[in-house]
Amino acid sequence: MSGRAILLAAALSGASLTVLAQAPAKSADVTYAKDIAPIVNSQCIACHHSSGPAPFPLTTYAEVRSHAQQIADVTRTHYMPPWLPDTQVSHFVDQLELSDAQIKTIQHWAASGAQPGDLASLPKPKEFPDGWQLGQPDLVLTSPKPWTMPASSVDLYRNFVFTVPIDKVKYVRAVEIRPGNTRVVHHANVLIDRKQSSRKRDGEDGQPGFPGMDVALESDAFDPDSHFIYWKPGAVVWSEPEGLGWELDPGTDLVLNMHMQATGKQEIVQPSLGIYFTDVKPTLHPMLLQLDADEQLDIPAGASNFTVHDEFTLPVAVDVIAIYPHAHYLGHELDTYATLPNGKKQWLVKIPQWDQSWQGIYRYRDYIHLPKGTVISMKFTYDNSASNVRNPSNPPRRVTAGNSSTDEMAHIWLQVLPVPAEVDGQDARLYLQEALMRHTLEKRPKDFSAHFNMGALYMGEDKNAEAEQQFKLALAVHPQDAATLNSLAAAEQAQGATAEAVKHYHQAIAADPMYVDAHFNLAMALIGSADFAGAITELQHVLELHPDDAGAEANLGAAYAQLSDWKNAESHLRRAIALDPQNRAAQENLAIVLQNLPVP
Amino acid sequence: MESGLFLSLAVVGAIKLHSSFVAVTLLAATAFAQAAGGPFSSQSLQKSPVEVLIFLRSDCPISNRFAPEVERLSQEFSAKGVQFWLVYPDRADTAANVADNAKEHGYNLPILRDADRALVKRSDATITPEAAVFSHGELIYHGRIDDRVAAFGKVRPAPTTHELQDALNAALLGRKPAVQEAPAVGCYISDLQ
Repeated sequence: MSGRAILLAAALSGASLTVLAQAPAKSADVTYAKDIAPIVNSQCIACHHSSGPAPFPLTTYAEVRSHAQQIADVTRTHYMPPWLPDTQVSHFVDQLELSDAQIKTIQHWAASGAQPGDLASLPKPKEFPDGWQLGQPDLVLTSPKPWTMPASSVDLYRNFVFTVPIDKVKYVRAVEIRPGNTRVVHHANVLIDRKQSSRKRDGEDGQPGFPGMDVALESDAFDPDSHFIYWKPGAVVWSEPEGLGWELDPGTDLVLNMHMQATGKQEIVQPSLGIYFTDVKPTLHPMLLQLDADEQLDIPAGASNFTVHDEFTLPVAVDVIAIYPHAHYLGHELDTYATLPNGKKQWLVKIPQWDQSWQGIYRYRDYIHLPKGTVISMKFTYDNSASNVRNPSNPPRRVTAGNSSTDEMAHIWLQVLPVPAEVDGQDARLYLQEALMRHTLEKRPKDFSAHFNMGALYMGEDKNAEAEQQFKLALAVHPQDAATLNSLAAAEQAQGATAEAVKHYHQAIAADPMYVDAHFNLAMALIGSADFAGAITELQHVLELHPDDAGAEANLGAAYAQLSDWKNAESHLRRAIALDPQNRAAQENLAIVLQNLPVP
Repeated sequence: MESGLFLSLAVVGAIKLHSSFVAVTLLAATAFAQAAGGPFSSQSLQKSPVEVLIFLRSDCPISNRFAPEVERLSQEFSAKGVQFWLVYPDRADTAANVADNAKEHGYNLPILRDADRALVKRSDATITPEAAVFSHGELIYHGRIDDRVAAFGKVRPAPTTHELQDALNAALLGRKPAVQEAPAVGCYISDLQ
């Protein structure tokens, strides 16, 4: 699915890590000042401060004292601090963890009356200034209208669409998500919607945004910028290292997907995104590898240990930067590991007790190098029994793959950097993409996205007949998909089958009348078959949709010139040059047109 | 206790409970008067033989998340003559805090503060949120409202048992409920000052 479906993005989180390897303090002399405050201050208060996302602060003795037994309970059961991966087998940035000794110390303290100790000896409490963590962003996008979350006791999922007012390509180094109501929002991630495919759903229920747990985005290009943009409570905003920024093009929408937890009262949610640009053009180009086992998800009602697997062999060497495991409410144990060519097992993430509420993007402290030929394995288990209290269905029902909260998913996304970036003079990500798509088609021979992506890869290699075949296989699954019809037509056109191409461009436009690329490509095909009047009509459609498209203006001018309509030709060519002074074809055509214009 | 839970002088600001109780502070005097249908008296208790105390804490997220369910139950059962009370046992929870918390969460119920924990003791309550049901002054149920929260962080999408509702239905029939005690999950009252 990677080129065409869910592009998840993120940046992570957490408070600073201190694991003190010390023996638990004896109950008689455990005090807040001596033993508890250091633990709470390093592991809890990033969220548990008065303006923080946690439901109550833990910054003073009185505050901690008033939750003492509760803290003892939630640390003993490892519910708090919330951190799903096993920290023994992999080490992540900002991971939260308490040692067994620290947990015992907390138990002793609560059981012995939660003594204060010498409060005067405590350092000044840490301050948590409001405002943007990385300073004033270069661009702030705020949801135009607040969304009202009803007073309820159930979790809700909402997506907000942000248009990005930029007129040229920008490079992004960081995005800070401000959920607008941290007491409600449990986690959020930003998806990059290059085809504006979510706009049409915005406001569909009369409220800002649209509902949905997972969002499928359309994209008709292999997405080159695979980054995680993520928020969860206590998150430290992630700023990409130099060279690892990503490109934000004009016309791209950002979709903020938020999981919101009920608080029992009506809540107002108005999220913002703070975007930080960099002048440094990205030099390192990571890619998201998706392993999945959705086709195996057919979980019988009552099954308590249903297992799915996927395995992928790396065609090139990579460094793994980050990992994002994803399942819904039935997920139980989520494991991913690599088997190196020398047979060594390397854990990537081990989650013994999944809780989708606390899901996160996990960034490795040190990139994990995986040589070519490494096998990456994922193994997820699911509990669809009634004893899984989070089971969304009671009594349990058969569950299959899907995007809604009552469906399941079995996905791992790995953010990887191919090392080296080029293999045999070609972007190494293309080898990865091709291997991934072939792997997907082995699992699911009728996978629409994989056929589409294979077609796109073949076109990139100028193998247009193979591309045509793949697009036709994709269309056998989704016959009305505009992007695939457009791509099929382009593959036909590249082979000289202009009549077929024109037919399929028309079908693409019929499927989506607002599809600019199809109008433009049709115009080019019509020019190629000397139907200049038809081409003019299509180029006018392009300019209605994209009024400042220099290429469309230049071709419109050329088409008018072909019809000897010199006056119109001149004005459109002049506009093309005004929009893009470097457009040589427009300049040359203008010179010809001026020679043909009648002398005034 | 043979008499009703709240024998009272209908005094704004404080009510006297049964002689063995320390007075609790009555916050929302107007809401109280409305809910009780006028000045509180032993006669009104005869009309409301079933009373429910809901123990709450304004900074307890689980307590707060139960607001819509408590309000729903109170609407259903008030019509059948059941009297609901919200009880805030945290001494550090100021009167203004408590009033704001109830208002924000859409409660339309009379509020009691229980700084001396008299009602906590009387109800054997240990957790917020927790319910205690009295029938003619006798404690016939205390514990969770329902089983939505199975443990910290383990929340069902919907409850599968409804202990408070079952206890109220039994009480209205003059019976004791089949389940008279069920452990609640939430914030410990013993953690409070």
